[in-house]
Amino acid sequence: MLRDRERREYAVMLAPYLIGIAVLIAIPALVTFALALTEYDLIRSPRFVGLQNFRDLWDDEIFRTSVRNSLMFILFAVPLRLLGAVAFALLLHRKFRGVGAYRTSAYLPTVVPDVAYALLWLWIINPLYGPLNLALDAIGGPTPSWLTDPRAAQWAVIIMSLFVIGEGFIVAMATRQGIPGELYELGDVEGASPLFMFWRLTLPLMAPTLLLLMFRDTIFSFQANFVPALLVTGGGPAPYATTYLPLFIYRNGFEYLRYGYASAATLVMFGLTALIVYLQWRIVKRWRHAFVV
Amino acid sequence: MAELRFEGVRKDYGEVRALRGFDLEVADGEFLVLVGPSGCGKSTALRTAAGLEEVTEGSIHIGDRNVTDVRPAERNVSMVFQSYALFPHLSVEENIGFGLRARGVKAGRARVKVLEAAELVGCEKLLDRKPFQLSGGERQRVALARALVREPDVHLLDEPLSNLDAQLRVYMRAELKKLHQSVGATMVYVTHDQVEALTLGDRVAVLNQGILQQLGPPDDVYRRPANRFVAGFIGSPAMNFFPGERVDGSLHAGPFVFEGRPNLPERVEVGVRPEHIQVDEGDEGAPAEVQVVEMAGNETYLHLQADKSLVLARVGADVRPEVGSTVRIRANPADAYLFDAETGETLT
Repeated sequence: MLRDRERREYAVMLAPYLIGIAVLIAIPALVTFALALTEYDLIRSPRFVGLQNFRDLWDDEIFRTSVRNSLMFILFAVPLRLLGAVAFALLLHRKFRGVGAYRTSAYLPTVVPDVAYALLWLWIINPLYGPLNLALDAIGGPTPSWLTDPRAAQWAVIIMSLFVIGEGFIVAMATRQGIPGELYELGDVEGASPLFMFWRLTLPLMAPTLLLLMFRDTIFSFQANFVPALLVTGGGPAPYATTYLPLFIYRNGFEYLRYGYASAATLVMFGLTALIVYLQWRIVKRWRHAFVV
Repeated sequence: MAELRFEGVRKDYGEVRALRGFDLEVADGEFLVLVGPSGCGKSTALRTAAGLEEVTEGSIHIGDRNVTDVRPAERNVSMVFQSYALFPHLSVEENIGFGLRARGVKAGRARVKVLEAAELVGCEKLLDRKPFQLSGGERQRVALARALVREPDVHLLDEPLSNLDAQLRVYMRAELKKLHQSVGATMVYVTHDQVEALTLGDRVAVLNQGILQQLGPPDDVYRRPANRFVAGFIGSPAMNFFPGERVDGSLHAGPFVFEGRPNLPERVEVGVRPEHIQVDEGDEGAPAEVQVVEMAGNETYLHLQADKSLVLARVGADVRPEVGSTVRIRANPADAYLFDAETGETLT
């Protein structure tokens, strides 16, 4: 049993965190629910409009485009990011000369501030002097207009997200390192090929963690494209090729001062996230017997 | 099945020399036990045989094949690890059949072989279970079945009983012995447990610091140790050692005096096993003070202080002198082992 003094100490130590959670997350989240049912522009008092904001969203072509863009982003970015994290983890989980530098390199983009990272990519994909197109041109590859071609711009945002996989990489690497080496030695003695070992050993044993990473990355990916879409592509090129849900919400809220409308869109994004994670969970549940360790 | 041969095998890990000119021949169908203290190189020897470690020098042969540079998969050996190394996500059946499936054996054929191997070790009723649903002994059986199922030339077992409790270890030891007798496979078994070594092995190889100290039947290793290390390592409790001194034709060793041992080198060491020390309360023998009395069920261990020497004696369960009392200790000259104090070699 904790003594009263210890309890007080714990309460004092927890207080900044709990206050932060309440003020910065819990209360704004609750306010969002309330605002979604109002029309509010920061100047006049909020006016209750019921579900009108949601009806307007349904009819809003830009909103539908941003939902579609967000879903397509998740469809491509999440598997590719997961693949990248696992690939790095499998390459770098062993100890060899210089592995520390390689691991740092793999993690480094994750700690670069979002704005600096976006500005760096603005230079990299510049069609005139950007190193990406120069390199592609040098090897005879296509040189897309990353900032003016809608499809290329969407891929640019996806590609940008593929290098920010440090956390997934670390978790996947720790998981791989947690698989006992003797299992691989036994596989060697038993005559298993590396591919056989990957499918029959590595992947099933990493699967629970990878599934967790997938859920987490899905939630993260709904929001991850905000800064690149705002700073690199500006939500374009026309017609709204890289306007994703976070950018749509930001513009409606902070540029057009439609806070009620933005709040409704936020709730839709929240619902979509929950729905996708639920669907993933249903799929995993069905296939769970293949992964249970 | 086939014989396994190490020829002048050296294995270095950087500055550390794990095996030094290791020569050993395991006969076809033999159960050979590699025994030694931690870090003596016994597991390294096993791993070089499996191909999990490259040798620095020398060669390894299985049957008439030089397998020194052959990949583990192509050596046709099996390995049982101390941890059993069962795949946690696979059922017992899939674990046992792992090697067969990895080598492309069809599912139907693999199932028949798996069932045969499982019946051989008595785990045929566990085939649908996962490793976490098994006890230590059952896991051990599964690991053995997996080793047997491919019928490899040589079975390599790395301390497979170490993780079991004492009672189960004794039981599985006998099971393992029976299994070897029934399949007649070549088995190399690594342990640090001398009781396992003596009870299981057709022959026992004692290693220390990467050097083979003695190779022979268990009885030979126990009764005729090649040197001081083997004498001290084999036998529980360990042998008592005393510096020997020649005095007027007799040999003085700690509390004991042995008559009529001429032609000995200048410096000798004398070893007497605890069970060869006779303890009584009469007048004969050297006086020794009882310091500790350890009851071990069917026997008693006495820690004695005799003059300047500490002596450990193993006596019957009914011998229970008081701590602090004085007893008399004697040893038969025929039970004294003599070693060259310089080289540690046994003197005959």
